[in-house]
Amino acid sequence: MILGAVFLLLAALTMLQYRNAAPSASAAVYADGILVQTVDLSVDATYRIESVEGWNVLTVQDGKLAVTAASCPDGDCIRCGAKNSDPPIVCLPNRVSVQFSEDGGVDAVVR
Amino acid sequence: MTKRSLACLLIPVLLLAGCNLLPDAGVKPREASEQSIWAMDTQMDLRLYGDEEGNLMQSLIAILNSLDRELSATAPDSKLTALNESGWTDDTQIVFLTTRALAISEQTGGALDITMLPVSRRWGFTTGSYGVPYSGELEALRDNVGMDKITLTEKTVSIPDGTKLDFGALAKGYAADLCRAELEQAGKSGVLSLGGNLQTVGTKPDGSAWMIGVQDPDDPGRYALTLRLNGSKAIVTSGDYQRYFIQDNIRYCHILDPKTLSPVRGNLRAVTVVTDEGLRADALSTALFVLGREAGTELWRSQRDFEVIWMEEDGTIWLTPGLKDLASGNDFEVIEP
Repeated sequence: MILGAVFLLLAALTMLQYRNAAPSASAAVYADGILVQTVDLSVDATYRIESVEGWNVLTVQDGKLAVTAASCPDGDCIRCGAKNSDPPIVCLPNRVSVQFSEDGGVDAVVR
Repeated sequence: MTKRSLACLLIPVLLLAGCNLLPDAGVKPREASEQSIWAMDTQMDLRLYGDEEGNLMQSLIAILNSLDRELSATAPDSKLTALNESGWTDDTQIVFLTTRALAISEQTGGALDITMLPVSRRWGFTTGSYGVPYSGELEALRDNVGMDKITLTEKTVSIPDGTKLDFGALAKGYAADLCRAELEQAGKSGVLSLGGNLQTVGTKPDGSAWMIGVQDPDDPGRYALTLRLNGSKAIVTSGDYQRYFIQDNIRYCHILDPKTLSPVRGNLRAVTVVTDEGLRADALSTALFVLGREAGTELWRSQRDFEVIWMEEDGTIWLTPGLKDLASGNDFEVIEP
């Protein structure tokens, strides 16, 4: 139960961190660290992303993007569901990520 | 509680928390280690991936502290101060930096000038006692200023009495290059923020691009743009909002125009340069701020080995074409190739 409480707190903190994540109009898809596709979220479509390690199928519907099929063993990326804001969808086994962020999730700031 | 029921509780919670936090059976993201230090007159934030022992972090800190000691124009015992006092050096780092500064100064029509220390001092930017010089004072300093005062041979730098060198426009970029080489040699990745000089190294452990926020000149809490960059890149901003003073309602920024010996007066708030080499990004961001957007655009067209973001007073943002697909978060104009 203590473990559960810790994770709930973690979840709450993470939600807080992303509370300002605005819906994005586009998403950037990276495979093996390379930008392979920029997706317009206003257009319903299906994309197949190939990386060295495997493939993911992305489906855009009603302004949101979901991974609907993937060759990865765990399917975590599929369980992320349909999204239009960060945090990103990451498929670690395939080294594929989908980033929505337009103002969040930044690694560093140049001043 | 059984393991299964615990998992049923945790998985939805983790989904809520963000999918990138989901534990993965195959590839475990390497831990990031972070450390902040103060060197070269600025705060430096270092984030490394996969440096479990902390040895690499210590190497980087040693590099930065060493450059801090050797290249400071104000510390009484630095190698640069020794040159500025004696007028001669055969220090390999100083010879290298001077060689590069002369080349970039020539490429930018003199917009980069490393002999401006006496001028900067008179305006108060090195001392903190700011003030607009009296008429005639700046002209009197002109005798000691100018890249043509520097005599460079393959192994030595010499300067006449009264001329002083200052590597403020390239030292942090050079520091980023040395740190990057150290990380690459060890096969590690990370992101280094050397007082606004950013250096990404390698690939993030999750394979995604580095997300770089470019600060809004009017609001430090906001980004004017976000850049998605892959691999090792140097990103450097020069702006009028970093160090400045206001006298009689006029803002005087710390970037001096070598032609007027006065703070740059134009309609630019900031220039950001993205390129492979930190030293070049650092020096070019200063030079491009001095040049303004139109002359800067011509410079870019003649070189094309760097990308630029110009942020103007009225809020207009201009990008070179290579950044068009990497930038988001605001409207921008793209300059003609």
